[in-house]
Amino acid sequence: MLDVTKSGLGTGTRAQSRLVSLQVNGEWHEVAVKPRVTLVEAIRDAIGLTGTKASCESGTCGACTVLVDGRPVLACITLAIECDGKEVRTVEGLADGEKLSALQEAFLDQGAIQCGFCTPGMLMSATALLERSPRPTREEINKALEGNLCRCTGYNAIVDAVLQASDQGVKPVMK
Amino acid sequence: MILFDFELERPGTPADAVALLERLHGDARVLAGGTDLVPNMRAELIKPGVLVSLGAIAPEAPATLPDGALRIDAFSRLAELERSELVRARAPMLAESARAVGGNQVREMGTLGGNLCQESRCLYFNQRHDYQFAAPCYKLGGDRCYPFPTNKRDTCWSVYMSDVAPALIALGAEIEILSAKGIRRISAEDLFTGNGLRPLALDAAELVRAVIVPAPAPRTGWAFHKSTVRGGLEFGMAVIAVRLELAGDGKTCAGARIAIGAVRERPVRPAAAERALADAAPDDARLADAAAAAAKEVNPLPHHGFTKRYLMDNIRVHLRRLLVRAVERAGGPQA
Repeated sequence: MLDVTKSGLGTGTRAQSRLVSLQVNGEWHEVAVKPRVTLVEAIRDAIGLTGTKASCESGTCGACTVLVDGRPVLACITLAIECDGKEVRTVEGLADGEKLSALQEAFLDQGAIQCGFCTPGMLMSATALLERSPRPTREEINKALEGNLCRCTGYNAIVDAVLQASDQGVKPVMK
Repeated sequence: MILFDFELERPGTPADAVALLERLHGDARVLAGGTDLVPNMRAELIKPGVLVSLGAIAPEAPATLPDGALRIDAFSRLAELERSELVRARAPMLAESARAVGGNQVREMGTLGGNLCQESRCLYFNQRHDYQFAAPCYKLGGDRCYPFPTNKRDTCWSVYMSDVAPALIALGAEIEILSAKGIRRISAEDLFTGNGLRPLALDAAELVRAVIVPAPAPRTGWAFHKSTVRGGLEFGMAVIAVRLELAGDGKTCAGARIAIGAVRERPVRPAAAERALADAAPDDARLADAAAAAAKEVNPLPHHGFTKRYLMDNIRVHLRRLLVRAVERAGGPQA
């Protein structure tokens, strides 16, 4: 049986906030967080970058995916305190000023965005894939995006966008 | 958002971690990748006062021991196992089972030890946020069982869903457990109690430290299959791992190890089916009979909407295919 009589620290005790340094998109931020604050809460509420979406908040949809030290992680079930001193990349870090990344352009060209809520997570998972494997096969793309749910597009346009961005002969359909 | 306060410690070595766990007397939980623990804390199924994070301890790379066995640090990320050349060459079934876990992010976050120490699951228990106004079930200290209303207090038919555990059991792996008293080694099967209320035979102050996969005998074949609805980012409906060894003549099966997960409170080995395969010619009829016997012997629990009858059919068919595949691999030129 699980021990449910205890409730965290119990009444009357409060966890202390601690200072956590995060290098978000190349810029260092110091955030005071309690242990229970998740990375997505720190990014959205403390740092103010709202591109990363908090959707299911239980690690089942992938909308909150960000890259921590280059690896795609679910920011809604990662504690911010665990990322102290680490490099975090969010969807805001993909574009160079006004110039979108090749992957972002490909998402637009393929109509791989409808409501857009899954898109930041999709972009981060796909960015991690392309950094590891610059010309992935369709199967590799499916596997690398399996943790990102999209309820609008039916996924094919998204896979096509990754193929277009990796220069594998897929032509834009929305130009 | 986690709705209660807790403290977090980040010990620098495994020894410090177990010393801390010992001192905290069961008020602490170990945080590895967090892909199981944090969602459970969010749903308030688990409310520890302190988390002992392993995040500050770098895992050792997989290494070959003098006897040819493979030692894998339990703090290794599943994605690292999936990508490790050494693991793929020496224990391909382990790499494949790691690749079957969750989604891409879950594999990048989750660790081998964390996957083994995951909480068991049940449609009602894990959907607690949807049923939060309902009275708690036995596992949560309450007085009822929703899916099996006739169950008594000491019986919980939640299923244990690790994808890696059946592979480790079929491979005959051992598990190194660290506590303040030192290291003890158990077989992978002995990690599980078979009781859904407390699925793991681990003390609160113990830590899964490493997994040791023995070197396979020559003419050994393996096969692994996880049945799913979507094919990604989900728990299995039945997870089957097979390791089969052919005798020197290449025509007789010297022994088989079968482990079936996600259908009971622990991964199950169908002993009668394994016995039926030992010292017998692994022809199609015998493999089919063994698979049918195993499906009966396992007696799967209906879970997450899958009926017992469906799960028995699923095991019978997939196990037969896996046995055929394992025999092929054992006799193939590359084995």
